[in-house]
Amino acid sequence: MTPSTTQDAISHGTVRSSSRTGLLVGVLVACGLALLPLLTLLKDALIGGGNGPLQLGFDGANQVRGTLLLVGGEGLLGAILGTAIGWLTAVCRFPGRRWLRMAQLVPMAFPAYLLAASLVDWGSHRGMRIHGLGWAIVLLTLANYSYVFLLSTESFSVSGRRLLEASRSLGVGPWSSFFRVALPIALPSIGAGVALSAMEVVNELGAVRLLGVPSLSAGILDRWQVDGDPQGAALLSLVALGIVAVLIATERLLRQRSRRWNLEGSRGGGHVWPLTGWRSALAQLLCALPPLGAVAIPVLWIQEGWQGLEAESIAELGQLASRSLGLALLATAVTCLAALLLAISRRWSPQPLVRQLSFLAGLGYAIPGSVLALGLIILGGPLGFSPVLLLLWGYGDRFIAVSKQGLDAALERIPPSIDETATSLGCDWLGVLRRIHLPLLRGPLLVGSLLVFVDVVKELPITLALRPFDFDTLAVRVFQYASDERVGAAMAPALLIMVFGLIASFALIPTLEERD
Amino acid sequence: MRFKLTAIPTTALATTALAATTLASAIGVAGMAQNRPQEVNVYSGRHYNTDKQLYAEFTRRTGIKVNLLEGKDDELIQRLKSEGSKSKADLLVLVDAARLYRAQKANLFRSISSPELNKDVPANLRDPGGRWYALTRRARPVMVNTAMVNPKSIRTYADLAKPEFKGKLCLRSRASVYSQSLVADELVRRGATATRQWVRGVVANMKEPFFTSDTTMVRAVGQGQCGASIANQYYLARLLSGDNTADRATAKKVRVVWPNPTHVNVTAGGVTRSSRNPEAARRLLEFLASPTSGEGYAAANNEYPLKGWGNNPTLKAFGTFKASTVSMEQLGQRNREAVQLMTEAGWE
Repeated sequence: MTPSTTQDAISHGTVRSSSRTGLLVGVLVACGLALLPLLTLLKDALIGGGNGPLQLGFDGANQVRGTLLLVGGEGLLGAILGTAIGWLTAVCRFPGRRWLRMAQLVPMAFPAYLLAASLVDWGSHRGMRIHGLGWAIVLLTLANYSYVFLLSTESFSVSGRRLLEASRSLGVGPWSSFFRVALPIALPSIGAGVALSAMEVVNELGAVRLLGVPSLSAGILDRWQVDGDPQGAALLSLVALGIVAVLIATERLLRQRSRRWNLEGSRGGGHVWPLTGWRSALAQLLCALPPLGAVAIPVLWIQEGWQGLEAESIAELGQLASRSLGLALLATAVTCLAALLLAISRRWSPQPLVRQLSFLAGLGYAIPGSVLALGLIILGGPLGFSPVLLLLWGYGDRFIAVSKQGLDAALERIPPSIDETATSLGCDWLGVLRRIHLPLLRGPLLVGSLLVFVDVVKELPITLALRPFDFDTLAVRVFQYASDERVGAAMAPALLIMVFGLIASFALIPTLEERD
Repeated sequence: MRFKLTAIPTTALATTALAATTLASAIGVAGMAQNRPQEVNVYSGRHYNTDKQLYAEFTRRTGIKVNLLEGKDDELIQRLKSEGSKSKADLLVLVDAARLYRAQKANLFRSISSPELNKDVPANLRDPGGRWYALTRRARPVMVNTAMVNPKSIRTYADLAKPEFKGKLCLRSRASVYSQSLVADELVRRGATATRQWVRGVVANMKEPFFTSDTTMVRAVGQGQCGASIANQYYLARLLSGDNTADRATAKKVRVVWPNPTHVNVTAGGVTRSSRNPEAARRLLEFLASPTSGEGYAAANNEYPLKGWGNNPTLKAFGTFKASTVSMEQLGQRNREAVQLMTEAGWE
């Protein structure tokens, strides 16, 4: 290869442009599929009826305020909790550390609406009123801090250990090491985790409604479905989109500022900071509280309401479970493939258009599931699409960001020099993907898949709106019973959701173990 | 990072197998849902397993298979709107007058004429145009804790706005369609000025922040956190007849007080405009509204049948009431005004 073509490769230019055309087409198709329902909605909302000037109104302003407070509160609490636990279990040594590290995956198994419903019901038996913003922030943090934990701890253990050892040998203490070395390196991952969890919060519907907190997600739905005001719903959706766009942009900015490439992946070597005495006890307490809380809430609730348990037939439960499982597996495959495509295309294509499109494709995460579902009904109805196909489309659109955030962050850590070397040795993008990126990305890809899987099992509004006749899933059944205020009937399917979530979470353990 | 590669093919195999099974069953379901004369597709806002037994009974008698899609009422209305003439739904079952009115305004129902339905469903509980027919009734009485509130001090809903109830009242939030229809009922009977004053009065008497569920609110009355509240009768009946001993004990401390008149609402069904099998849909509607199966439909949720008080012992113990004569259509018409008025008066 001549120096000039090598130079081209380095700047990710036109080498093997034909194979990259395939990549580009793939990206355009994926983005098109992701954006089409949103554009349909926007068109429908702005052209299809509605009258008078667009205004937020009293309720709208309250809903914006409610969502901002939730996002701020949960983001802050989740960032502190997730980062602290991520750091403690990655680089400190204290009794029970390994178990506590695994336990952080437990809360992911519990959907926020289930935590809220069970806590409200349990409290109500005791004359305790679980209501309002404070409780909402606590419960949403509990349900979502694992995102921050997973991404930050991965960064702490993979990329920083050798640097930490160096800083320690230079006499820097644990706190300074954390703030001056580890935190800056982990910032992109923490940012990605916070952005993900904040997007979950923007979209949360069941829990916030139950706790009486006004929110954009509920406002969008009500304006659309109850008030018959699609324009108003579109306006609120735009505000929600704006919040998410700011979140994603902040995360990008953080990532660019702290860009460092790192492949050392130093394994073994023990933990850098041994903790003893009260420090060790405090670390244990901090790491144990959130998972214990997440487990305790539904367990107490079940113990309380056990008498009222209305058993569904085993055959019926089996059907519900197999539908949930099958849908989740299919959706995970589709979503992760699309996310991988988008993530690597950002690396290969210098065109700003591709970058912007791949950014926009992740915005589906910000649209309330039921609004997204309406877009799909409008789009797919006339074409006679199978409802299951629409369901998978909806899941993909909604959760592509979950898988892509982690991949993007991981790709940032792979030095471009590696791609350049491979390209100069004659590899095209597919070869680089197969021989270099995929092996290096296997961890984030697995984490992303499991997150998507758990999300789909818990997913409610899209499934509720798009499923065909006689095709209920576990989440749908739980929600229907819970919204009828029939707690006993909701219990069996709720238990199964938690079991699936737990199994998926435990499948992540090897990823954590690898980092030890 | 090293992973056990052997695990991957097994997982992939299992994934594919499971996914294929789901897809196959889904396609099977989609195939079944296509309209053949012996099938009727129901969109229902109710979610009771006993409903399915009734549908099975209908199939046994008529040979018409019932395909069911249960969801939230507003979502089903929106889905039907979006699906337009391509919708597969034949029958739409909704809870609450406000939603019936919304569906009617969106032109989702078709008029049907049926002497049987006209005989079984009282005139104020069906659409004059024959677009929907009530299937069950529910009432929204006042519930009090007798240790805190004298039941005799409440004769109408208007009494709850009196200063003597300050710091004793608990209410369901404005987002609940039950609250909205109650205020709409007041609007029709007493006019805007009196209703506005009443809403301000009850909001001023609030003890706890607005509740998001009737069950927790009824419990709060039994536990003495609230002296009085307004809730649908079946929530208390459910606690009283349920298996949870603590709930039964709490519920026993709650007394039902029937205001004169009492606000009544319905579950109702109508044949959809898009229906390709309106005959079968009408027959199912007639079956559900008939006195024998209607009783079963009501019993599933401790509701009242269309006529009389039914045989539910828990409901019988509550006594009888004089139902408001406001029609379901009027409730629907005044819904928006009611919500506006509640918003202005601080009913959150």
